Amino acid sequence: MKRILIVEDSPTMRALLNTALEGLEVPLKITEASSGFEALRCLPRAPFDLIVTDINMPDINGLELVSFVKSNAAYRSIPLVIVSTEGSERDREKGLELGADAYLVKPFEPENLREVVVDLLARGAQSE
Amino acid sequence: MAPRESRSRSGRKADQEFVSEAEEILERMREDYADLDDQRAAGGEVDPDLINRLFRSAHSLKALAGMFGLESIQDLAHHLEDILDGLRLGRVSMDSPCVGLIDEAIHTFANLLESVGNEEALAAFNEPVEDLATRIAASAKQAAAAGDELQSLDIDSSLLRALTEYEEHRLRENIQRGRHIMLVGSTFEIMSFDEGLSELSDSIRAIGEVLSTLPAPGETPESQIRFSLLVASDLSLAELTEALDFPDADVRSVREGTPAVEVISAPSERDSASPVPVAPELESLRSISETVRVDIRKLDELMNLVGELVIQRASIGDIAARLLAKPQSAQVGVELSKIHKSLDRKLKGIQSAVLEVRMVPMRQVFDKVSRVVRSLRRDLQKDVRLEVSGADTELDKLIVEELVDPLMHIVRNAIDHGIEPVEERRAAGKDAQGCIKINAFQRGNHVVISVSEDGRGIDRAALFARAQSLGLVSAETELTDRETLNLIFSPGLSTQSEVSETSGRGVGMDVVRENVMALGGAVEVESIPNRGTTISMTLPITLAIIQSLIVAVGKHRFAIPINAVHETLLIDASEIQRSEGREILDLRGDALLLRSLAKEFELDVSRSSEKQFAVIVGLGEQRIGLLVDRLDGQQDTVIKPIQGPVKNVRGFAGATELGDQDAVLVVDVSSLVEDTLSKKEGA
Repeated sequence: MKRILIVEDSPTMRALLNTALEGLEVPLKITEASSGFEALRCLPRAPFDLIVTDINMPDINGLELVSFVKSNAAYRSIPLVIVSTEGSERDREKGLELGADAYLVKPFEPENLREVVVDLLARGAQSE
Repeated sequence: MAPRESRSRSGRKADQEFVSEAEEILERMREDYADLDDQRAAGGEVDPDLINRLFRSAHSLKALAGMFGLESIQDLAHHLEDILDGLRLGRVSMDSPCVGLIDEAIHTFANLLESVGNEEALAAFNEPVEDLATRIAASAKQAAAAGDELQSLDIDSSLLRALTEYEEHRLRENIQRGRHIMLVGSTFEIMSFDEGLSELSDSIRAIGEVLSTLPAPGETPESQIRFSLLVASDLSLAELTEALDFPDADVRSVREGTPAVEVISAPSERDSASPVPVAPELESLRSISETVRVDIRKLDELMNLVGELVIQRASIGDIAARLLAKPQSAQVGVELSKIHKSLDRKLKGIQSAVLEVRMVPMRQVFDKVSRVVRSLRRDLQKDVRLEVSGADTELDKLIVEELVDPLMHIVRNAIDHGIEPVEERRAAGKDAQGCIKINAFQRGNHVVISVSEDGRGIDRAALFARAQSLGLVSAETELTDRETLNLIFSPGLSTQSEVSETSGRGVGMDVVRENVMALGGAVEVESIPNRGTTISMTLPITLAIIQSLIVAVGKHRFAIPINAVHETLLIDASEIQRSEGREILDLRGDALLLRSLAKEFELDVSRSSEKQFAVIVGLGEQRIGLLVDRLDGQQDTVIKPIQGPVKNVRGFAGATELGDQDAVLVVDVSSLVEDTLSKKEGA
């Protein structure tokens, strides 16, 4: 079973992400965090196999979350996907520079997300 | 300078090859820089190809110098390349002062190239080159900071990278507003960080703006989390630390705010122990509302009103003095004179406040001049550098404006006629590059602005001949050196036989002198053959309200601006000597020319006493003594122009009203001094 953390302040977007991921043929346990802070609290509680995060959130932004995850030895290896409306080249570059493994621009095709996620989960499994 | 023999023949040949190629590159750079400078001055966009070419030139020069082991050139070229790269990529703004350093670097290269092959001469340049390189490096850094302020912040790049575009925008905005940027860090237990962090953020929001919150693993990553808050505030580091009162938080400065903003919003005056919560938006509105642009004419009106008040205050003083003089009204007189004194203090306060508002630094004018110098340098093919000092010297805005044309004219003349062509300079054993120095400084109530060049100096014989051909002097006229030099101020005179495009002939030094005199100032010229010429303009700091010495000749009174008065002497008629039709006073061993105001203005005076006062006046270095009967004290005066048929009478700067409502004429010291010194009595 794969554990996925979805970090997204919009309930609608969370639901959409959830639905898209449920389409995967892998057994999943999805944890939802409605803010960056909540995500920070969730992280120590379970070993996650993947994080999907938004960028614009009220407390800390997704880039800051990426920075935290990738600078923390305990979480560094967790694959991370940014899903954001921030389509600008700059934010995309920043996210990837900070160590995000993939960047999807909203609105995204569920199929696209699934492809990326499957790919990253496989990579994560390999490195373990 | 003979090249040292330590280098081999083949070494010298290689040097020559290097120099000739480097000179070609430099020539190209000079041209490109001149074009760039023009485009900048015109305010338009600078052609990117131009910058790119300059960049490539600097690059080639660096590579070439590297091949020949010429470290100083290589090093300088390297730093120059940095600036140009910044400009090329838009990281450095074209408005940056470092652009001017490109010009300086090009000149330095020229000097270095001249010394290639001569180790000793090259070594002599080590220090200035190093200095320039340091300045270029520092300025490129500064410019990069202005262009992309974020790169210059003293913070970990991971924090910058984690900023969203909006947060970046907020950060820039705060930097532009001159706020202090700080990093507040604190470590929390991971399971309960929410509460502590909110408390910290909330207390920061009361005194500033939280730009971002970056989480990082704590010392024990399993149980702790550390947050770094990027904060912008009007409070300084110390003030914020105190106001925050958060013992677990560490605060450090990332970027110092600029004090100008601090003064406007005056955060330091706020009680930092109990800070008043002010939303950042409110704060910025406040700072805008505290500066206003004012039409200078409104300030003139204000100044005029203050001037009227000053005169009425003097009337009150007179009345008080009259009351005091009579026993029956002395008590009222005492009361009135108290009020008069208090009024006096307050008026002086208003006066100096208004004057201060009108003052602007010379810098703006000097910046214009340096642009002109650069374009002239190119047009006239003269290698000239400009050195400016005293740019912070302040003058009345109106005077500064009136000064631009005369100053430009003097500078043009200096480059066009003063500085010799390179070959002539070399032949005279001078530095190939000419130097123009502009200096402004305050001297008492005046500001002196001098323009010096190290050119050929004024050719007295040619000047005299030209004055003679214009009928200004005859072959027999005997002139002192100063008088000869002063001929340059005669109308229609130019020592150059051909009319040059730059200095033209339409505006001459006579117009310069007229303009400066109209401002109540004086122009002086000094010139040493083969060493250069200095033109100095002495100007009053303000035209608004001035102190005057009131003098009397018979029953007529006159005002003499006090800033032109050096001293007053009571003299006996027997002390006055006569020589060649002039009246002379022996002033501590120096012969001082005297001028009688009674004779000057053809006043009918029956002298009752042999005693007279000599008022020693002068602007700049020249002095004369004005003979008057009485001194009637000092008064604040507002000089008004004379209207009507008498307005062109020489010798008067205007008219002013005195405390007793009497209008008197104001003596124009500069024209009197000039007339006295330039022509003989009765001539």
